[in-house]
Amino acid sequence: MFQKHFIFGLFCLIAFQISSAQDKPPVKFGDVSAKDFETKVYSIDSNASAVVIADVGSCTVEGNRKGWFSVLTKHYKRVHILNKNGYDLANVSIRLFSNGEDEEILEKLKAITYNLEGGKVVETKLDNKSGVFEDKLDKKNKIKKFTFPNIKEGSILEFEYTTTSDFINTPDPWEFQGAYPRLWSEFTFNVPVFFNYTFLTQGYLPYTVRTAKEEITNFNITDPGGTGPSAHYSFSSRVIANRWAIKDVPALKEESYTTTVDNHIQKIAFELVERSAPLAYYRYIEAWPKVANNYLNYEYFGYNLTRENNFLRDISKSILTGSESKEVMSRKIFEWVRNNFTCTNYHRVLMDHGLKAVAKAKSGTVAEINLLLTALLLDNKIEADPVVLSTRSNGFAYSIFPLMSQYDYVICRAKINDKYIMLDASEPQMGYGFLPLRCYNGYARVMSKMAPAIDLLADSVSETKSTLVFVVNEGNGKYAGSMQQTPGYYESLDIRDKIKSKGVEQLQKDIKSAFGSDVEISNFGVDSLKNLDGPIGIHYDFMLDDVTEDIVYINPLFGEGYKDNPFKSAERKYPIEMPYAMDETYTLQMEVPQGYIVDELPKSMVLKLNEQEDGLFEYRLSHYGESISMRCRLVFKKANFLPEEYELLREFFSMVVKKQSEQIVFKKKK
Amino acid sequence: MTKVFLLAISFFSSLVSLAGDGVYNVSLIPEVLLKNAGAVKRMEVIEFEISESNSATLRHKVAYTILNEQGDRWAFFQAGYDRLRSVSSFEGTLYDAQGNKLKNLKKGDIKDESGMDDASLADDNRVKWHSFFYKVYPYTVEYEVVVKYKGTMFLPDWIPQEKNTMSVQQSRLVVICPATNPLRFQSYHYESKPVITESGRNKSYEWEVKNLATVEEEYASPAWYRQTTSVFPVTEKFSLEDYQGSNASWSDFGKFVFDLKSNRDALPANIKQKVHELTDHVNNTNEKIKLLYEYMQQNTRYISIQLGVGGWQPFDAKFVAEKKYGDCKALSNFMSALLKEAGIRSLYTVINAGGNNDYLIKDLPSSQFNHVILMVPQAKDTVWLECTSQILPAGYLGNFTSDRYALAVDENGGTLVRTPVYGYKENLQVRNIKATINETGNLDAQIFTRYKAEQQDRLFQVIKGLSKDKLMEFLKEDIELATYDIKSFHYDEVKTFVPEIKETLELVADNYATVSGKRLFLIPNIISRSHRKLKVNESRKNDIVLGMAYTDMDTTAIQIPDGYKAESIPQDVALNSKFGNYQSALKINGNTIVYTRQFECFNGSFPPADFAALAKFYETIYKADRAKLVFVKNQ
Repeated sequence: MFQKHFIFGLFCLIAFQISSAQDKPPVKFGDVSAKDFETKVYSIDSNASAVVIADVGSCTVEGNRKGWFSVLTKHYKRVHILNKNGYDLANVSIRLFSNGEDEEILEKLKAITYNLEGGKVVETKLDNKSGVFEDKLDKKNKIKKFTFPNIKEGSILEFEYTTTSDFINTPDPWEFQGAYPRLWSEFTFNVPVFFNYTFLTQGYLPYTVRTAKEEITNFNITDPGGTGPSAHYSFSSRVIANRWAIKDVPALKEESYTTTVDNHIQKIAFELVERSAPLAYYRYIEAWPKVANNYLNYEYFGYNLTRENNFLRDISKSILTGSESKEVMSRKIFEWVRNNFTCTNYHRVLMDHGLKAVAKAKSGTVAEINLLLTALLLDNKIEADPVVLSTRSNGFAYSIFPLMSQYDYVICRAKINDKYIMLDASEPQMGYGFLPLRCYNGYARVMSKMAPAIDLLADSVSETKSTLVFVVNEGNGKYAGSMQQTPGYYESLDIRDKIKSKGVEQLQKDIKSAFGSDVEISNFGVDSLKNLDGPIGIHYDFMLDDVTEDIVYINPLFGEGYKDNPFKSAERKYPIEMPYAMDETYTLQMEVPQGYIVDELPKSMVLKLNEQEDGLFEYRLSHYGESISMRCRLVFKKANFLPEEYELLREFFSMVVKKQSEQIVFKKKK
Repeated sequence: MTKVFLLAISFFSSLVSLAGDGVYNVSLIPEVLLKNAGAVKRMEVIEFEISESNSATLRHKVAYTILNEQGDRWAFFQAGYDRLRSVSSFEGTLYDAQGNKLKNLKKGDIKDESGMDDASLADDNRVKWHSFFYKVYPYTVEYEVVVKYKGTMFLPDWIPQEKNTMSVQQSRLVVICPATNPLRFQSYHYESKPVITESGRNKSYEWEVKNLATVEEEYASPAWYRQTTSVFPVTEKFSLEDYQGSNASWSDFGKFVFDLKSNRDALPANIKQKVHELTDHVNNTNEKIKLLYEYMQQNTRYISIQLGVGGWQPFDAKFVAEKKYGDCKALSNFMSALLKEAGIRSLYTVINAGGNNDYLIKDLPSSQFNHVILMVPQAKDTVWLECTSQILPAGYLGNFTSDRYALAVDENGGTLVRTPVYGYKENLQVRNIKATINETGNLDAQIFTRYKAEQQDRLFQVIKGLSKDKLMEFLKEDIELATYDIKSFHYDEVKTFVPEIKETLELVADNYATVSGKRLFLIPNIISRSHRKLKVNESRKNDIVLGMAYTDMDTTAIQIPDGYKAESIPQDVALNSKFGNYQSALKINGNTIVYTRQFECFNGSFPPADFAALAKFYETIYKADRAKLVFVKNQ
């Protein structure tokens, strides 16, 4: 009991008893009067096309007729449509899941449209028989859909329904926030004390109401008993009614440089931790080492990693000579898996097929491919462990509890010569020791005996790009240059993908059109295209138009540099989550065009984002005799910035764009 | 003896597998088909057999050799089905580069998913699909499906080369139909005639192509099916559930469309009364149309429900009156009923909506439509109504349905009609800018713009679809300047049959002019720059099809700080060509620069040989729009 309250108490019970003047939903189902139509503009958001007046959910654990428990969720919502742009709130989708045995069902759906006609409230009810449609997405997922009838500008809509779910371990999370402002959003979770759920909250808004009240409830369970007679159980237990409510929740909008808006939405999620008397004690969520161990022994995750598998031996024999070093071996194994397997699903933690079947099919989910990689490494006595993580688009994972439902990706960590190396063989062009950017989402977990946590931070990824340009006089007024560029690793990856799908000619055409039309490009080449463990190299020569005018203006960046500020939006409410830190250097050596003298040069400058120099811009240009040299460098030491730093970032980039647009002015010698 | 014999066999079979005699051996692909190809269609047979009872069976067998990643999409095979079609068999086999069979598909690996589009509340589209997810290139997938059709309104089209980066070794279309229900068809780029054979009561038509190499994608080309070999077959008689139709003429097909919707226009009494309330006191017919259209817009919304024959037959007017929603068919039918009650005749008009206006095959009466609008013939001018929009001004169509053939139907059948064209004189953008540049190069501009007809389509959607603060956000990101801010904006709509939007923006842009040392660099064309730039293609094959015609007019006055004199002034430009006319001119009066620009852009179809001239035309404009003025400080 102590242990239980300890965990539980962290999140609720006595600590939270917030209550305020308003602690009830402002409205209830069916109670709509002419007065409710009066407000045409709501103070919470004068621009809103629709306002959610109330969004109320309550979730209760009940005994069922399958010998166990179900969660019953009631959902009530009232919406006031203010203009046509809010009509999409009239289309409602309810997603239901079933795995053949356990299922979610929808019941007691009521939906009513209210309009004010001649000062009277007129109701139009949804016809449940002809107006509710079912879309079977696949074997396990379906969507029930309906639309409210008789919608006009000014309509008030209400719906109410109940879902009953056999999936009691993770009841649906409650989102307090959405695309429209909400005057009142509340959720109640009635938890019997024999079930211990953990509450995972996220967001930036304080609760208006947070209470936990206790009552006694009867539980009735019927066990159908298979072939034997059915059995009935009945007992009473204390139930804690946990209630959360927030008044005046602003609408949420997606902004650029965000991992996913789901990481910032105000919400609360639930996960069953353990059960206790009168039920047989069982812990659903163990400590990480235990969970990892269970996973390692689980048929659909790690069971076959450490078993003798002849097919792994056969594969090893076909790709290795047996006399390589560990390093060479791991590289060969990685490349073999990467080059021969197609990833069919990039969001999977468990295997759908056995390793042998995966090896035969030459295709599998990200979990299957990287577990096969791990198995092959282990089979060759190379230390390797699977690592689970949540990708950027899937949202952050909570580190405290091992909630496996939060993870959607598996990679492999190998140890070679006492150094750890991260591997992902699911991406056809990913190099040895590199991870796709989507993996850098903070926290990840190694599925090994000790199950240590590791950090995969975007701040730790640095894109280094260097560009070198020479421009010389070739006589006869011809002014020619050569460009050598090494983009960062991930930019190289994008270019590799582009070349793979569209060909290298397309890249050359794109560069030419970025350059402007007056330039001839020749000797174009891309190096290291097949060497996936490093960046590519791009090189070409260019010939400028005849230099003949009295005054010639040349931008020393020759098509490189930033022409646009990536931070377009004037303000920002969330953290800025860029994919990586970066360090870009541009170096130029150029001759003054023959017959000309320098009339004006852009001034050198150094710009720092802040005192810590998280951002640094250097622009240095000098001129000796007939030669001009330049170095332009842009550095971001980290990838994540606070919303308060946004304005600074925007201004910083604005200065960079301005400086990089400046021109050198040459004048003809008299 | 036995041992020797066995040995011999195994020797022989290993030889065979080494030699790789599979029909899909990659070495059997002619060299010319490999160039620029991601995949090669090795063989294909589409056999469509129509019974006398108007049901049909499609047998489709196809094999693709996937050469590299660019061909990956052909490694996914899908078969769509719905209430009128069912997939009765689905087989697949994977082969390696030598053409050796690797495996067959497992039934359990065939995915069965909803094919519903996001815009629909309910439809019955579903799709079965499969992929081997193989990636040891090159490899070959072979699929064979059998689909049973309940009706014959839609026959499979044959476009053997599905995309320009796929080549075709061989493909064949066979259509078998009862001799009593002959085939009509339209073909493109098929030199000879189909082979027609009669056997018993059936007639069979056969087309075949071999060795189509990849082709280069070209800017402003006609629809793909008009560039490549294609055949569109239809039968003279067809059925859709209980409805029988004929493709013998547009009139006959129109009759079928009309019959599907006939007797569905009865209005409830209260709506009839409303129609009279709204229009009885009005004399002008155009005014009546406008009032009823706005009533319809205020009281309905677009919801798509497409189930079985409901994909082609509208919900009746009573349904729309009660639920206050419907799709294009139901809303057009409802609107037509409102007009009828007011004594105004209108025609339900089926059309192929979308960006491409030359999609319809005029000489092949048949179902080629995806949308319905309403045509209201008037003594002077026809009024067109798009009934799925709650916001469009009455009588205006926009580029979704303008300038194309459509089929207007009534009790006598169908008639091909042409929807209105908005030309370069209607599609206007007239802009007037008053701006100042300060000492540091910051710009402060008052921008007045009048957008008319199709030039206002995009902006119309934006200002109608976004709340004020979202609109501000949109404006702050929409303009192509490095860093700028919008201080204020204002819009006025002119809701005429050819609508207009008047826009006022106050825009500031830091460092718009580059001030470095004693010089000031400035592009006088602030926000009206052309972005078109073509890659010259010496061997252009297709006609050049230029879409919307329009005119842009700009007058920009920019005041710069004191103490500068012009060092370099862009030359005035005047171009006259068959693609359009362009003029830009610059005057400097003291501290004020006055820049004027007029661009008339024509539409139409031009021969391939004109491409170089077109590229040059765009190029000159591109450069002129970015020409820089340079000022230098008076010393």
